[in-house]
Amino acid sequence: AGLCRHPPGKGPSLSILADSREISCGAEVISSLRAVHGLHVQVCSLGTSDYVVSTRLAVERTFQSELQGPGNRNRLSQRLQRLQGLFQRVCVILETDRAKPGETSRCFQRTQYYDGALSALVQAGIRILFSSCQQETAVLLRDLALLEHRKGAAIDVPTELEGPRRDLLGFYLSIPPLSYVGALQLCHCLGCPRDLANSSPSAVAAAARLSRDCAEEIQRYLRHSFDPQLLPQPPRAGGKGPAAPRS
Amino acid sequence: MTTKANFPVTAGSVVVPYGHVIGNEKWRGSEVAQRLQGKVKLIFEDGLGLVDFHLSNRTCILYISEADLVAGDEFKRRLVRFRNGSNLRGLVIVEKTQISDQYFSAVQKLVVLELGMVLLPVANQGEAAQLIVQLVREQSRDQGTNPFLRKQRPQLAEPALFQTAQHIPGVGKTKALLLLQHFGSIHRLCNASISELEQVVGQTAAQQIHAFLCS
Repeated sequence: AGLCRHPPGKGPSLSILADSREISCGAEVISSLRAVHGLHVQVCSLGTSDYVVSTRLAVERTFQSELQGPGNRNRLSQRLQRLQGLFQRVCVILETDRAKPGETSRCFQRTQYYDGALSALVQAGIRILFSSCQQETAVLLRDLALLEHRKGAAIDVPTELEGPRRDLLGFYLSIPPLSYVGALQLCHCLGCPRDLANSSPSAVAAAARLSRDCAEEIQRYLRHSFDPQLLPQPPRAGGKGPAAPRS
Repeated sequence: MTTKANFPVTAGSVVVPYGHVIGNEKWRGSEVAQRLQGKVKLIFEDGLGLVDFHLSNRTCILYISEADLVAGDEFKRRLVRFRNGSNLRGLVIVEKTQISDQYFSAVQKLVVLELGMVLLPVANQGEAAQLIVQLVREQSRDQGTNPFLRKQRPQLAEPALFQTAQHIPGVGKTKALLLLQHFGSIHRLCNASISELEQVVGQTAAQQIHAFLCS
C-alpha cells in the first residue's frame, strides 16, 4: 500500500487535476499554475468539478454573475450537490466577471439574490474564495493545494495512466461513490478489481486513502444484487435492434 | 473598531432566536443598524467582546472596516483571538473598497485558508446590512430548501451496475446483461473462474474478462 506514495518533501511537484472544459474557459488559470507556480496540472475529463486539488477537495470556479439571478444558479447548485457526495470538502472560487470587449468597466450590481446565494453557500458548509481574475484564481488554487499538502491530502499518485490502465480507470470511474481522484488512487494502489472486491472497507480506505464511508459504499455497490427489472429500459436480450435476430 | 485587550472574546453562551440579531452596543446608530431595522429584530447588548453581531446557530459576525484594514494589523490580532478563544462559528465581513482592495487577498488568505473562517466582502455598510438580512433569512429557513446542500436521494444501483459491467473491455450491452444476470453482482463476477465465465460469454471473451478483472 505504501508503494504508491512519494516521500514527503521530495518527488515531483504538487499535482492538481483540471477539467478539460477549463482549457477553453480558464486557459490563463492553467498556464499560470504551470508556468508561474510550477504545479503539475493534469487536464482530464473530470466532468463533476473544474479542479481537484487534493484527495478530498474539489474546487468549482464560477463567475459572480452566475449567482446574480435564478437563471444561472441551477447548473451550479446541481454540480455542488453532486460534489458533496464525492468529496469531503468543496470550495467555490467566485471570479469577477470579465469585461467584454467594448465595455470600459462593468459595474457589479449586487442583488438580493446574490446575497441569498452566498448565505446558502455558507449554510451548506461550502468554502467560498473571491478572485478578481484568472491569475488570482491560480494563486488561490496553489494556496489550496499547498494547504492540503501540509495536511497530508495531496494527490501523490501519478495522474497519467497508460494502456490497459486506462480501461481500469474507466471501470472504477463508473462506480458511483468514486471521484476521479479516488478512481486514480484505486488504479495505483490496488492490484485489480478482484482485489478491490475481496478487500475489507478499512483495507480499501487505507490503501487508496479514501474515506471509510466511501470505501463502505463501494463494497455495498459491488455486492448489490442486480435486478434487470429495475433498469429504466429493460434491454431486450440480443439487443441490437427490434427486428434483427442474430444468427 | 478598536478593541481593548481586556475585552472578553465573546459574551459566553449567547442564544439568539431565529430572525433575531444581537448587535454590539458600539453599532447603535450606525448605518448597518439603521438598515437592519424593520428587516430583522435587532437588539443591542453591551459586552459582546470581539463580536460585532450574533446570529442564531452559534454564528458570529466580525466586521472589518476599510479603516481597520488601513490602520494596520490590529484586526488580525482580533481575528486570531476570536478563533483561538471561542468555539462559535466566525463569519468575517470585510469592506472591500477601492482603497482597501490592495489588502483583500492577504486578508482572504488569513481568514479562509489559515483560520478556516468564512469571509464575505461588501462595498459598504449598506451592503453589509443587506447581506446580514439574507444570512438571517437563510438560517431561519428549512435546510431542505437550500439549493446547494446535498439531497440524500436513494438511487437505484442497477443502471450504474449495467454501466460498470460495460466498462470491462470486450463487454457491450448484451454481454453486460448476461454477466450480471448470471452472476448477480460485480463481486461475484470478479470472483468467477474462466470456466464459469465461458458458460456465459464464450471462450475468448471469458479469457479477456478474467484477465481484466484478476490481473
